Amino acid sequence: METAQRIECQWCRSQNLSTARTCDTCGAPLDVRNLVSDSGWREAPRLRDMTEFHFGQSTCQVEGEIVPVAEIALAQGDWVYFEHHVMLWKDESVAMSVMPLKGGVKRAFAGMPFIVSLAQGPGRIAFSRDATGELVVLPIHPGQELDVREHAFLVASHSIGYSYVRIQGLKNILFSGQGMFMDRFLAGGEQGLLFLHGYGNVFERVLQPGESVLVEPGAFLYKDASVTMTVETQKLTTGLFGGQGMNLARMTGPGRLGIQSMYVHHHTD
Amino acid sequence: MAESTYTCRWCRMSTPAADLTSCPTCGAPVDVRDMVSRSGWYELPAVPDMARLQFGRSYCQIEGAYVPVADFNLAAEDSVYFAHHVLLWREPGVNVSAMSLRGGWKRLFAGMPLVMTQAQGPGHIAFSRDAPGEVVPIPLQPGTAVDVREHLFVAATGQVGYDWFNTNVWFQTRDGDDTETHYPLGMFMDRFSAGQQPGLLLLHAAGNAFVRGLAAGESILVKPTALLFKDTTVGMQLHMEHPSGTWRSWRSWGERYLWVRLHGPGRIAIQSAYDHFHDPGSNLSRTSPATVWRW
Repeated sequence: METAQRIECQWCRSQNLSTARTCDTCGAPLDVRNLVSDSGWREAPRLRDMTEFHFGQSTCQVEGEIVPVAEIALAQGDWVYFEHHVMLWKDESVAMSVMPLKGGVKRAFAGMPFIVSLAQGPGRIAFSRDATGELVVLPIHPGQELDVREHAFLVASHSIGYSYVRIQGLKNILFSGQGMFMDRFLAGGEQGLLFLHGYGNVFERVLQPGESVLVEPGAFLYKDASVTMTVETQKLTTGLFGGQGMNLARMTGPGRLGIQSMYVHHHTD
Repeated sequence: MAESTYTCRWCRMSTPAADLTSCPTCGAPVDVRDMVSRSGWYELPAVPDMARLQFGRSYCQIEGAYVPVADFNLAAEDSVYFAHHVLLWREPGVNVSAMSLRGGWKRLFAGMPLVMTQAQGPGHIAFSRDAPGEVVPIPLQPGTAVDVREHLFVAATGQVGYDWFNTNVWFQTRDGDDTETHYPLGMFMDRFSAGQQPGLLLLHAAGNAFVRGLAAGESILVKPTALLFKDTTVGMQLHMEHPSGTWRSWRSWGERYLWVRLHGPGRIAIQSAYDHFHDPGSNLSRTSPATVWRW
């Protein structure tokens, strides 16, 4: 009996036809070896210009490399949601609405988007952020929960649930550089697709249970909900001048951790 | 039969040539031809993704292309120092401490980092800056030094000495009774030098980086905020030009251009993305030694 050969995508673990050059689920090149540093950080796959991949009945095409654009051809009945200021252009036929969010006052107070917009097919709509970086495509499998730093989220497919989590601990809120909340995305019974924009280059590392790494808080991009985050402060003193403090986020596994190389440094006293 | 060697076109270091894809000292790729403009600027080749730069018993791996990360794998006896805000991540086992600097008040006043931070191996520690650009590795041979414009330094190995000096490139403007002093290059510049042992210095250039050698007496005018580094033998001076067809009003915006004149001998390097230097346009009351040209 003849069986069709399949290739597993090294980024999202989806199965692809052996003739495919890019993953049909996340767009990652299948014919390029992984770039993994000796310290264990894996570079997010650099999506080829004009790469296409699919979710539901819809198609996404990635355009450009320095500030990539995610252009989505929405099929009838499919919809996506996004922060309204990341929309680059859309067809007139794409219907727009807003997603009702709980805790609007708290979100407004915390500087998070008060309104999350919905776009429903049929039609084309495109998204991009405002700085050099990489489009990070993360398929969310049923039961998975992913925490994302605020304002890194670009767009998500309709099958992904959206909520937000309050960052625990006053020190974390004041010194983590993430604000009061993180976005949380979770897939219920159906796989969905989440698009983030990482500033600069994006790296991912899988932390084992109990394994930890200290990260500049502004560089944190995403993590599995199972990864914990606490802020540690180290005082750097130089006698008379008192010196400066250095805050780093201790991220402890198990789970995935994503960072971006271009970040806002958060000043300390 | 003698073993063949490869001499890097960027750092001039010679190494055994077997199976090299990038220079083990500075990371410059070996398989690209020199990119030299007709005007003589040598485009610094981007360090290939995941290239390793060896120093002592440690090495630095360059990761990423848009905003590259310098990931050091430090052996127990090796250390690096850095300005603390460029730290991206570190392993918990890497020991980090403050390195005191002379002239704290002056540095504080000039907006330069008051604390330089030192990391001692063993373990991994990684650095990146906050703008798209290139990591510029500068291997320093014993007895050599370079001057670097402030806030471009990423990290240096423990063998590299650090000092700083007054640029003496400034001008004063007067507005009523207020006198303000401006420093187009910053008040101070960093100086990095290698004593008895070679060392490795890493800078971050915003945009692309270009290098050229100036012959003795040769000079070139450069936008002050584009200067990346220079050899210590290269002199610098304020230069002003007044274009023709402009007229002086109570404010003289557009009536002058400000440059830094760099004169050889020695290397200079510039970056293609630079900060805007704000010239308030007010009348000049005093300047550091300067050349002036009116068209």
